[in-house]
Amino acid sequence: MENIYKPDPMEVVEVRQQTADVKLVRIKFRDPEKNANFKFNIGQFGLYSVFGVGESTFNICCSNSKDYIEFCFRKTGRVTERLWDVEPGDTIGFRGPFGNSYPMDAWEGKNLVFVAGGIAMPPIRCAIQYALENREKYGKITIVYGARTVGDLVCKDELDEWAQAPNVVVLKTVDVAPPEGTPWNGRVDFVPTVLKDAGITGENTVALVVGPPIMIKLSLPILVDAGLKDEDIFTSLENRMKCGLGKCGRCNCGSVYVCKEGPVFTQADIKKMPDDF
Amino acid sequence: MSQIITLDQLKKTLAEKQAQGVDIIAPVLRGELAFFQHVDDLEKAALTPRVRFQNSIKEFFFPRHETIFSFVRQGSDVQLTDAPEFERQQIVVGARPCDAASLPILDPLFAWDYQDRFFQQRRANTTVVSFACKETDGHCFCTAVGGAPDGTAGADAILFELGDGSFEVRCLTDKGKALFAGKTSESDKTGAACEPPKIDFEIKPIADWIRNNFSSPVWEEVSLRCVGCGACAFVCPTCHCFDIVDEGSYSKGKRVKNWDSCQTALFTLHASGHNPRGTQGKRQRQRMMHKFVIYPDKFDFNLCTGCGACSRSCGVMFGVRPCLEALAQAASSSEN
Repeated sequence: MENIYKPDPMEVVEVRQQTADVKLVRIKFRDPEKNANFKFNIGQFGLYSVFGVGESTFNICCSNSKDYIEFCFRKTGRVTERLWDVEPGDTIGFRGPFGNSYPMDAWEGKNLVFVAGGIAMPPIRCAIQYALENREKYGKITIVYGARTVGDLVCKDELDEWAQAPNVVVLKTVDVAPPEGTPWNGRVDFVPTVLKDAGITGENTVALVVGPPIMIKLSLPILVDAGLKDEDIFTSLENRMKCGLGKCGRCNCGSVYVCKEGPVFTQADIKKMPDDF
Repeated sequence: MSQIITLDQLKKTLAEKQAQGVDIIAPVLRGELAFFQHVDDLEKAALTPRVRFQNSIKEFFFPRHETIFSFVRQGSDVQLTDAPEFERQQIVVGARPCDAASLPILDPLFAWDYQDRFFQQRRANTTVVSFACKETDGHCFCTAVGGAPDGTAGADAILFELGDGSFEVRCLTDKGKALFAGKTSESDKTGAACEPPKIDFEIKPIADWIRNNFSSPVWEEVSLRCVGCGACAFVCPTCHCFDIVDEGSYSKGKRVKNWDSCQTALFTLHASGHNPRGTQGKRQRQRMMHKFVIYPDKFDFNLCTGCGACSRSCGVMFGVRPCLEALAQAASSSEN
């Protein structure tokens, strides 16, 4: 019988440092057949392991048109401390894809608003990449992305690339002004303020909001005021996970298992859930 | 007519199976304490119904520590070796009805979309013979969750001690029939279990209260005495939460599945330092919700057999029954 807890060995293809403590890693299945047949939906996650150290959960942060997987992590715990040292050619483990996904099909024909804070850009990046690869299927795309400082922004190069695409607005901001002389073509403000100034209209629009709780809390009323319904506001939750399969018993919010019934929820879903995250 | 088997014949039957390579798991006394464990010599098995065990039969289906796979690093590559499949046959004899009842409760969890072969293979390869209860104590509350001293859920056969060195045998499944075929004799004696435990609360209104009182201060109040040791989860036949950790070194080691408990802070602690269940009250709430709200929502079972092992083992006289009683009180006072 299949062993659902055994990961696949993956080759690290590329590592790109994003900030002082964030890296983006590109991996491929060591087994070429598996690599060719691997499929996932935008918004799903995986469990990534450093053998001998442990496993951690991250979103698959690239679109699903590639022949590789990318994930992004911040160096903050035992596994990520060790993951920080991986180099191209190294082997790590991967289990997945797990969880539900963003309804990219249902979003077709709509305007998309992406709101991200700090390290929460990667779980949105996959949706942005997908939408831009299928540009004709979606309406106006607005991306609001903020971090504490310029040094904390991830995917900085891509932000400028995305802004070049037709009918895409990228608004980037930082909480703290960069030191004099630092090149910065974004704003110095909190994400909700910038979102408010973006002039979002609710009609035929969906939003994906991922970030720290305070950013989400203050961004929601702005989207609601703009006319978005709770069913049109999406987020991706995270909770500590071990199995990713609905068995180990820790990631639930009430009766909802983030690993199986999430990580993607609408604001309407979240209002029904107890405050267990 | 009933079928009976003498204690000697039961031991002989088990010894025959053992000789064929079947593992026998039975109660063994160490001093006054009874443990379920593998037995080599059936004369050491304490084959009589009892209320108190130091462990549940869970660990023979869901071991407290189990290797998932091992790995060896070879240059930049890593070779993984799958844990062996569970191919042995085993017989658990002397289980309490409330222990056996945990097995069908756990089945749907380990089959929820992803098949956990570690549990499922052991389950398929195990015959469970339970003993109907001859006594209950103040911790027992099986009747509150649909069980009974002669409950048959999860058992392949149930034996009733007759008090004359023999048992009445009631085979419940093909596995049970296969074990006892030709080993019993006909008799007009029938066994009976003890009286069911007396319970003065009902689960339904308490579960409703739990569902509607997520933010109640009662959770912190009832949990004040809990020290968060997790013993309740380890002795529980239905608690199944687990951790996955790596052992060994960077170059060579294994990944294991270990029992875990929702009563420790680390269980849900995020790398960021945030903890959705940062207090003992929140953790106790999770435990009770999981047992009486979440699991029934998902799988139509209470995640509890009313065995009382948690409160019997609790160092501060807490556990599921004391907690249910406290919540029943909160529920009734919130009605008034």
